[in-house]
Amino acid sequence: MKINVVKNVLQANDIVADKNRRAFQEGQVLAINLISSPGSGKTTLLEKTIPALDEQGPSIVIVGDLQTTRDAERVAGSALQVTQINTGMSCHLYANQIAESLPGLDLDQAAFLFIENVGNLVCPGEFDLGENLKVVLLSIPEGDDKVAKYPTVFRAADLVLLTKIDLLGAFNYDLVRVEEDLRKLNPVAPLLPFSATTGQGMEEWLGWLKEQRGTKVGAQAKFFNA
Amino acid sequence: MHEMSLASALMDEIINIACDNNVVRIEEIELRIGVLKQVVPEVMEEAFRAASFGTLAEGATLRQIEIPARAFCSRCDREFSPAVNDFLCPTCGEFSTTLLEGDELLLGSLTCVT
Repeated sequence: MKINVVKNVLQANDIVADKNRRAFQEGQVLAINLISSPGSGKTTLLEKTIPALDEQGPSIVIVGDLQTTRDAERVAGSALQVTQINTGMSCHLYANQIAESLPGLDLDQAAFLFIENVGNLVCPGEFDLGENLKVVLLSIPEGDDKVAKYPTVFRAADLVLLTKIDLLGAFNYDLVRVEEDLRKLNPVAPLLPFSATTGQGMEEWLGWLKEQRGTKVGAQAKFFNA
Repeated sequence: MHEMSLASALMDEIINIACDNNVVRIEEIELRIGVLKQVVPEVMEEAFRAASFGTLAEGATLRQIEIPARAFCSRCDREFSPAVNDFLCPTCGEFSTTLLEGDELLLGSLTCVT
């Protein structure tokens, strides 16, 4: 017997992602999926961002890692709540792992939800978690050829943060190439040079988050003091 | 490297469909894969073998059909085949926001014994 199906293989994940999206909407939080290679500065970005966002409202963090609670510990002091998901051998987060975390989180008490995905430029781009926005970090030491090599995640990005920009002089790095490669895949995502060390790009990043919260969640939302 | 995640998701779908249709064994699975998904057929095959081990799809043939990428340029009013990492129209250089095909991962059909 032949059964004709024609069904998206990732549909089960997408259905749960839609439920998550509704939960974020009801909680009036802006949900950001942070995606990058390991070591490009996701946790450091959160350590700097969460205290600086305080006047816009508290943040909740969900951290995905294969092992350890180290990243969660690093942001525990500044975030309203932190949940660590250990994915074991899985190289990305699934929508249902987020869904399982939500009952323990007070979304209605927060303005932002940061989901720090497992460090990986491939799989996280394929799995919708229900987030409002995907932010991809690309650090200078990774090299200027990564956009063309990992097109899926850059095509899906809403913002690309070029992290560790203070190290630019230490590498033979072609910024124009990065911008050109990105525009072949994604005409709209801003490419923002950023350094957690020097503070370069911090103001623009915070401004972008505020603007996106106004657009995606609404200027009438709780904590919104535009 | 994402093939294992995709194979596990595929197996979940297959098991659901098999349960709904009282299937006892699956002989063939047709999978339609857009070229932009960057799935490596040999790796997908291996991942499927691992994910289907001990299930009613163990030993089934995984038929992978590659779907080429097609985009439409509204300025030139014509179709073109974008590269995986380049969606600019080869004629006018404009970015195409209209992807017609090539980004899907579809379970097409199951051939099974009930």
